[in-house]
Amino acid sequence: MGGKSKAMYKVSLIVLLSLSFALSGCGGNNNNTAGKAEETAAAGTASANTEGKIEPFNVSVFIGAAGQQPTPDNKIYKKIKEETGATFDMEFLAGDINQKLGVMIAGQDYPDLMTGNTKLTAAGAYIPLEDLIEEYAPNLKAHYADYWNMMKDPNDGHIYILPNYGVYNGKVNSSWYSGPAFWIQKAVLKEFNYPQVKTLDQYFDLIEQYKAKYPKIDGSPTIGFEILNYDWKNWGLFNAPQHLIGHPNDGGVVVNDGVAEIFADKDYAKQYYQKLNEINQKGLIDKETFVQNYDQYMAKLSSGTVLGMFDQHWNFNAAEDSLTTQGKIERTYVGLPLVYDESTKDYYRDLAVLNLNNGFGISINAKNAVQIIKLLDTLIQEDWQKTFSWGVEGEDYIVENGRFMRTQEQRDNAADATWQLANKAKAMFDYLPKTEGSFSDGNSTDAAAQPEEYKAGLKPFDKEVLDAYGYDSYVDFFSEPPANPVYYPAWSIDLIEGSDAKIASTKLNELQTKFLPKAILADPADFDSVWTDYTGQIQKANVKAYEDKINEQIKWRIENWSK
Amino acid sequence: MDETLEIDTVVRHPKKNRKKKKQPVTWRLIKNQNQLIWMSVPLMLYIILFAYVPVWGWTMAFQNYKPAKSFGEQEWVGLKQFKFLFTDDNFIRVLRNTLAMGLINLILGFVTAIVLALLLNEIKKVFWKRTVQTISYLPHFLSWIIVTGIVATSLSINDGIVNIVLMKLHLIKEPILWLSEGKYFWGIVGASHVWKEVGWNTIIYLAAIASIDPALYEAAEIDGANRYKKMMFVTLPGIKATIVILMIMSIGHVLEAGFEVQYLLGNGLVVDWAETIDIFVLKYGLAQGNYSLATAGGIFKTVVSVTLLLMANGISKRLGEERLL
Repeated sequence: MGGKSKAMYKVSLIVLLSLSFALSGCGGNNNNTAGKAEETAAAGTASANTEGKIEPFNVSVFIGAAGQQPTPDNKIYKKIKEETGATFDMEFLAGDINQKLGVMIAGQDYPDLMTGNTKLTAAGAYIPLEDLIEEYAPNLKAHYADYWNMMKDPNDGHIYILPNYGVYNGKVNSSWYSGPAFWIQKAVLKEFNYPQVKTLDQYFDLIEQYKAKYPKIDGSPTIGFEILNYDWKNWGLFNAPQHLIGHPNDGGVVVNDGVAEIFADKDYAKQYYQKLNEINQKGLIDKETFVQNYDQYMAKLSSGTVLGMFDQHWNFNAAEDSLTTQGKIERTYVGLPLVYDESTKDYYRDLAVLNLNNGFGISINAKNAVQIIKLLDTLIQEDWQKTFSWGVEGEDYIVENGRFMRTQEQRDNAADATWQLANKAKAMFDYLPKTEGSFSDGNSTDAAAQPEEYKAGLKPFDKEVLDAYGYDSYVDFFSEPPANPVYYPAWSIDLIEGSDAKIASTKLNELQTKFLPKAILADPADFDSVWTDYTGQIQKANVKAYEDKINEQIKWRIENWSK
Repeated sequence: MDETLEIDTVVRHPKKNRKKKKQPVTWRLIKNQNQLIWMSVPLMLYIILFAYVPVWGWTMAFQNYKPAKSFGEQEWVGLKQFKFLFTDDNFIRVLRNTLAMGLINLILGFVTAIVLALLLNEIKKVFWKRTVQTISYLPHFLSWIIVTGIVATSLSINDGIVNIVLMKLHLIKEPILWLSEGKYFWGIVGASHVWKEVGWNTIIYLAAIASIDPALYEAAEIDGANRYKKMMFVTLPGIKATIVILMIMSIGHVLEAGFEVQYLLGNGLVVDWAETIDIFVLKYGLAQGNYSLATAGGIFKTVVSVTLLLMANGISKRLGEERLL
């Protein structure tokens, strides 16, 4: 017995000890404050590499989107390592971003570089960058010079995030429109001999005629119009009215002379939904449209049976890719900037804007903030930017008379996802500060937007469509965008988590999701009563708090962003 | 005869012990049982750490909690979060949905699992029994996101299996848009639950049935009981204890009507029937960064659940049935 109980003692002791170790491991060192960042900044200066000598260092990176790790011998990352000493240790988002951020914030567990996000800013996870840039990063300073004020956090005036998109240089070539529009199948336009379509009525007329003529496409019933209203991808139902009266995408509000108001309950919104109600009576709207999820929606678009929808191009891009692979080019879509009447000028296309919910910020846990900012400063230089966007000269592109071109093989490579993992630094470059528009030698910063490249890549059917309209690319269907208003866009205004404004906007969203489908599917005789019910509920929802917050921020932006 | 005698003494022994007065806790006793005490320490620590320490987080419900601030820096707001929760127009509706779907899941889940267990028990060919069992419990391992995908696809009006079957049977004239009508929603959720969990829930009943003394069936047969009667008077009473205990435990989970199904299958047209407390808390709590409200919602659910559990336990005790506590 004695021996046994001794053994028991030992076993329980081991269990206890290991448990206590585990417990002590749990007590986090959560005392990271800005002070530490300053300290490390100072340390960074001391160890900063001197001329010619490259010290290897590692940067841990959190990318706020799902993605794939590049291959270990990736060409571009190798080049970065050889020339700057930096290696990246990338973590991609798996699952829900808010959940992931919540865990990161709760544990104060931040990598060196993190995707820009207002949640992280609010949690004090980034170090202020303005002094670092001023001191160590002349190229970044020059890059952002015109946008300096816009990058400041509205709450405390510091710069925390280096936005990745929205900084332009030189002539902006663009061949791909990624934003919202009323989309229509190319086959429909061809059928009616490429008519000009400007208004909502003309658009639905075409769809109605086409559907009557071809009740089935490839054996499946033709679907006239599709509306996706699923989860956060709800703009297909909500956003159209502001565009139809010639306003750009400001999210839930329309801004006139710097004053914002919601449009969900206005008469011009009613006009749109009443039109949808009318075409629903004609059987043009997919019966399942309001119960489908995103996958079902994409499956329908990919089948080529959907004639039209209102959506953002990037949202259904994958379905178009699938149609192209199936060889159904005539079932892919043309974006149309529709308005209520032809006298209204369309304003769908806008100049991309600075987005502080994107790009990179340096976290308070970064031990070598100075090294990182110096690295970013190196990578914003033009030769690096060319390497990122075009690749290595001679391998990934050729130069003819100073113009960058690709051979067909290089073009095919560039479109191959597997090739990209070994030969492009796509994951990092997507989030790094970048030059958009043109390089100083006039070549486009985006290979796909280089006019020669775009033309060379066009399919014969696309050439036919564009020739019929006399356009160079599908972007030409839209009016040239004017310079953005100073405050633009209102949708990027941070409503502040948990505030009355945010609650009101959630409520409004909820009411729209609930009542608009009801109104569209209602018997035309009941439409008005549903609408009255809907607007009545909106009035109860404290929309004023929402509008006030937006207006306050618009005012703030006009005061602080004007140069 | 010897055997019965032995069983008798073995069975009676603990009863005698129970009648004795409680053993006083003495040093001798502690010394004697010190191995047991030591063995329980890690478990106690585990429970304290993972079940009691987190309760400290409930303080968040009374604050305007902001992450990355220390406890001392948080702003205290009293019952504000609870007020928001209970005064919101939607709350009653959300509570109704949660309770309704919870009860539907509970009752449907019980009835189908017990019926399936009884029927499986009647299958004499082991091969068939195994096959049915395997097929019925496999969906348990699918995640809800996949299950809702399957449900949405089978309820679709284009090529959805449900509509096709009903049309072929001439039960309906044209396809029904199942997910667009609030009145169907609870039923769809209940049916999905049954499809996913029935086989899994059956396992425990089958185990309970296996422990019934075969002599009872023989006796019943000699007395002239048919299959049906054996089921009613031998099998069912045999697993009654299991049923009651499981029932009490599930009642504590009535408010856990689910989140994924309703979130993934719900849409604007059925929102009045689909939104549960969890979704409400997600929308107005977590999605807004208002963690305090989310905590308040969690506390509300816990309090209701514990109350329900105690009530069920109490009722069961009054009725002289098995009980949990």
